[in-house]
Order: sequence, then C-alpha cells, then structure tokens
Amino acid sequence: MYIIVVGGGSVGHGLALELQQMPDHEVTIVEVNSARAAQLRAELGEMVVHGDGSEIAFLDGVGAGRADLIIALTADDGANLVACQVSKHWFNVKRTIARVNDPRNEALFLRLGVDSIVSASGAVMAQIEATLPEHTIIPLMALEGSRLHVVDIRVQQGSPAAGRALRDLQFPPEVLVSVIIGKQGARVPDGDSVLQVGDEVIAVIPRESDAAVRSMIAGPVEGA
Amino acid sequence: MRILIMGCGRVGAGLATRLTDEGHEVTVLDTDAFAFRRLLPNFAGRRLVGSGTDDRMLIDAGIAETDCFIALASGDNRNILASQKAKEIYGVKTVVTRVKDPLRSEMFARLGIHTFSPTKVGVTLAHDAIFQGE
Repeated sequence: MYIIVVGGGSVGHGLALELQQMPDHEVTIVEVNSARAAQLRAELGEMVVHGDGSEIAFLDGVGAGRADLIIALTADDGANLVACQVSKHWFNVKRTIARVNDPRNEALFLRLGVDSIVSASGAVMAQIEATLPEHTIIPLMALEGSRLHVVDIRVQQGSPAAGRALRDLQFPPEVLVSVIIGKQGARVPDGDSVLQVGDEVIAVIPRESDAAVRSMIAGPVEGA
Repeated sequence: MRILIMGCGRVGAGLATRLTDEGHEVTVLDTDAFAFRRLLPNFAGRRLVGSGTDDRMLIDAGIAETDCFIALASGDNRNILASQKAKEIYGVKTVVTRVKDPLRSEMFARLGIHTFSPTKVGVTLAHDAIFQGE
C-alpha cells in the first residue's frame, strides 16, 4: 500500500515511525516547514519530502495518483481538509483521513467527503484521562453513528466487582465486557470469568452508562 | 444585500468600500485589527476582528442572515475552508472564493464553489499587455 502522510509534527512523526516498521507499505511524509523537514529527513531518510501537501502540483510530484491512502495531520484544519479533498477529487485516492483540530469542523469534514476523522481534542482528552488515577475509565474509540464506545477500565482495590463472576454482576443494559487483560494476558471472558484487582477490562458500553460502569468495575472514586 | 467579507487586504478593503458606496450592508472580518487601516474614510460598514474559519466568529458576524460571503484572506486553504462552511453549514446563497493556486481554484470550481484565481487573471493580463497592438 502507498500511504502519504501530510504533516510532520509530533503526530505525523509518531505515525511515520509506526509505519516504517511495516515492510509492506511505502510511505511518504510531507512537511511544509523546511527546517522541520530537514530534521525529519536526517532521522527518517528519503521518505520525508519538503513541500505543501495541499498543492496539486506538489502532490502529483510525490505520486498522489497512485496513493491508496492519504492522512492529513497538520495543525491547520484548512490544510487538512484541502489535502483530503484534492486527493479524493483530483487524484482519486481511495481513502482519506484528516485530523480535526477544531471539533466544530468534524461534521463539515465528513460531509465534504473526508472518509475518517481523527479528533485531536478527543485524543488529548483520552491522554488526560489516562494520566488521572481517579478517572479509571479510558475512552479508546467512539463507535460512529451510535451512543456506544469502547472503554478501558482497571479493577481497583475496593471494586464491588473484584472476586466476582461476570454473571453475578448487574450491569446496565447494552454493556458488553469484551476482553479481560490480567496477569496471564488477555482472554475473552464468559459468565464464569472472575475479575481480579489489577485486571484491565475492555468493554463496549453506552456513554450514558459511563458512571455506573465505572463505579461497578473500577470501584469508588477516591475523594469523591 | 447583506455581504460578509473575510480578509481586509487591499482587495477586501477596496471591495468593502465600493459595496457600502453602492448601499449594501457590509461586514468585514480580519484577524488583525491593523488591516482595517486600508478601508477608505467613506466605508460605512461594520468591522470585526476574528477568523472567518471560526464558527463563533461567523455566527457573531451574522452569517445566518448573510446573502453573500466573499473569502479574500491570504491563505487559499483558509478561504476554501471558510467558503465551504458558509455554503454547506450556514446555507449562504452566494459564496465567492479567491484561490491563488490556479489548479486548486479550478478543482474547487468543479466542486461547485465560485472561485477565481488572481494568479491566472494576472498571467492573462500581463500576457495580453505584451502583445497589445500587434
């Protein structure tokens, strides 16, 4: 697969490192700032190209016509939107992904044909939640077009669920415990599975049940 | 007509003044208050400091009751973002967008936005001036 990443900031750089590990993919990183591009090129090599990823002539030069995927990750929503629209409408790139810096732009991006959006503030919120010990429910992924999301919850000391089998727990409706990650690794649970303090639980739950599920699995919030 | 102009550069300021002279209700937006110095003394419209890509700003500027939105900021991408927002989200009837890059201008015109490229216009004028009278 040929992937073009527009924007070599911290997010683009991190993604480039990931993609470099996958030998099946050819990747080009586009960075508009010349100093930043030179710095990235010193580290990542020829995959980094200096230029404007929203300009048609430039994208043509880096082979956008044969790209399978374009990911626009700059801090500028205008540049991300235009990079995706140009890729889609001029070069017929099959799939476009854009980072949305202003959450109010999410609906517009999807309406204008960007296939998927990465909401910067959503990702940042998840980071913040992950670093707060009393917030023991970490949103991993929103399931588009529903109230459901995938969350990560840690079973803590004092949790009412600790030491009990899943079948004995009275969860709110539509809560599905998908994976339990314990000392022995990850397992798909059944009704007999028993939660232990320190286990991590991946579950699909409706957003409105966040608080209920949090207090059941994670236990009481300290200081609350 | 109620007209909202994004960007108070030379073109934005000149157009804004001309439109108020013609009796239109004009609001000019710019991220830099210093840009309003370019408006002529007879400009009779409203000036607002803020970004035309910012929804709060657009709402404050009265985008919902605007008949015509003209994007004349310095960045092509900002103009394209704001124009599509005006058209798709706020339903502004007439939307005009300056896009310096001729190819980008052509592509967004194909997508149904009224664009014009000063680069393309400049090339044509300069070219025609050279061969004038031949």
